[in-house]
Amino acid sequence: MKFIILLFISAALFFTSAALAGDQGFVKEGSKRSITLPAPNITLKEGPGRDVTSSYCRICHSLDYITTQQKFTKAKWMAVVTKMIKVYGAPISGENAKIIADYITTHYGIGG
Amino acid sequence: MESKGVSRRDFIKTVGITTALAATGTIPPVLYASERRLVTFPEKTELLLLTSSPPQLETPLKYFRELVTPNEALFVRWHLSNIPTSVDLDSWRLVIHGNVDKPISLSMDELKKFEKVGYTAVIQCAGNGRSFFEPPIFGGQWMNGAMGNVTWGGVRLKDLLKSAGIKSGSMEVVFKGLDKAALPTVPGFLKSLPLDKALEDDIIVAYEMNGSELPMLNGFPVRLVVPGWYATYWVKSLSDIEVTDKPSENFWMKTAYRIPDDPCGCVEPGGAPKKTVPINRMTTRSLLINPEDGSRLKSGQSIELMGVAFSGGYSIREVLVSIDGGMNWSPARLGKDLGRYSWIQWFYPWQPAKPGNYQVMVRATNSIGESQPLDGLWNSSGYLLNKIEKYNLIVA
Ligand code: HEC
Repeated sequence: MKFIILLFISAALFFTSAALAGDQGFVKEGSKRSITLPAPNITLKEGPGRDVTSSYCRICHSLDYITTQQKFTKAKWMAVVTKMIKVYGAPISGENAKIIADYITTHYGIGG
Repeated sequence: MESKGVSRRDFIKTVGITTALAATGTIPPVLYASERRLVTFPEKTELLLLTSSPPQLETPLKYFRELVTPNEALFVRWHLSNIPTSVDLDSWRLVIHGNVDKPISLSMDELKKFEKVGYTAVIQCAGNGRSFFEPPIFGGQWMNGAMGNVTWGGVRLKDLLKSAGIKSGSMEVVFKGLDKAALPTVPGFLKSLPLDKALEDDIIVAYEMNGSELPMLNGFPVRLVVPGWYATYWVKSLSDIEVTDKPSENFWMKTAYRIPDDPCGCVEPGGAPKKTVPINRMTTRSLLINPEDGSRLKSGQSIELMGVAFSGGYSIREVLVSIDGGMNWSPARLGKDLGRYSWIQWFYPWQPAKPGNYQVMVRATNSIGESQPLDGLWNSSGYLLNKIEKYNLIVA
């Protein structure tokens, strides 16, 4: 029942909001086009390792690259952190990599 | 910096998922991935947010009720966080160089002097539908909104290459846009096509989407259009075309965007491929768009199911619809044909006689017999998804 109510609320929100198209943040001046992007605004969940994760994992992209993934195990998250270091050159020490993998698995993954 | 678009909206789930819950009472595995906020980015209507920097925004399915997707609703997908936020056409140039007789540098006016061509073509991200893979896969957790059907206008890539003069011994053509990574250690986003592919008539450098300029987030001022192939090749804010005499060593060709080298492009779920090739042509797909998954209908009332079907550059020959979970299938009526690269709409009149839960399935076949598998095929990057989708409609 709760879900059905939610359905109507989200449907209503969905259709009213879709009417508002966005020309805010776009400027056309003669031969020039410019946009202003909305600033990323993601706060990671409280817990040990959050600050290390927040500061290193947003150097190259926003933190929603973490928060919008599905649930993965620690081994999988460790592999992602290793990929960021080895393939993309993330400046993260081995010790911090472990802290980050622990933190993400606890708050956004599955298992320990 | 304005942060209104991303931060202040309430967190809501999409209608489709909420209704799926209402229908089945169980939590589908995609629930986590599909919790999405609607956000407004410049020149865009409200789209579903995957990531904010670089932006990855997904189109709500309701926009696919139209044959052609409006520019403001087309999905957005960048790889590197320094995307172009300002372009001045007075100084912008498209450069063609490398293994050519005469390197050229074209202004927009000069580019527009080449013969203008156009057609309607589906643009679809390689990872469209990734969130539906089981076991799940890292990367953009797209539902089915990383696609659209757009009328492109521009000039033939072939004409540009010929005017620079391709030298003998050339192998590939490499494309680069204005986007840059935050750190120099991240490989620049380069894509390449084999020379014979690059010389095909239908590959264009597009400066128009549906008769207008490209939105900045979709690659203003020009992007490559490789109809029938996944959007990873459709390089946005294209500024540099290089003809090379050796195969590309770039990360985004050699390591990323690859599929298992076998006819299905698949491996055992959870497995790893022995050999891979660069992803290329799109698989055949069909979707139900209206009514949405999980909708409630009245028994005895006539409705028309409607959706879209497309394939990688071959016309759709047939769309079959089942309303009983795949036991019986009947052909749908196909809508207006905008050519082999466009999607086609399908329609299926239906009058549910009895209350109950109905499982709708749709299956398309293209002119060379390519169709859709019943069960999902799996690969480790979450590409090529084209399983027959299952939708629940509740008749009361
Ligand atoms: C040196 C730059 C850099 C840093 C630092 C970095 N990443 Fe990434 N990350 C990337 C790039 C580039 C991609 C690919 C982006 C795309 O294709 O959209 C990526 C993609 C991802 C993805 C998507 C899956 C994939 O493999 O493409 C996840 C998850 C991710 N990063 C997590 C993290 C985490 C966790 C951290 C902190 C440990 C981190 N990143 C730090 C560059 C970086």
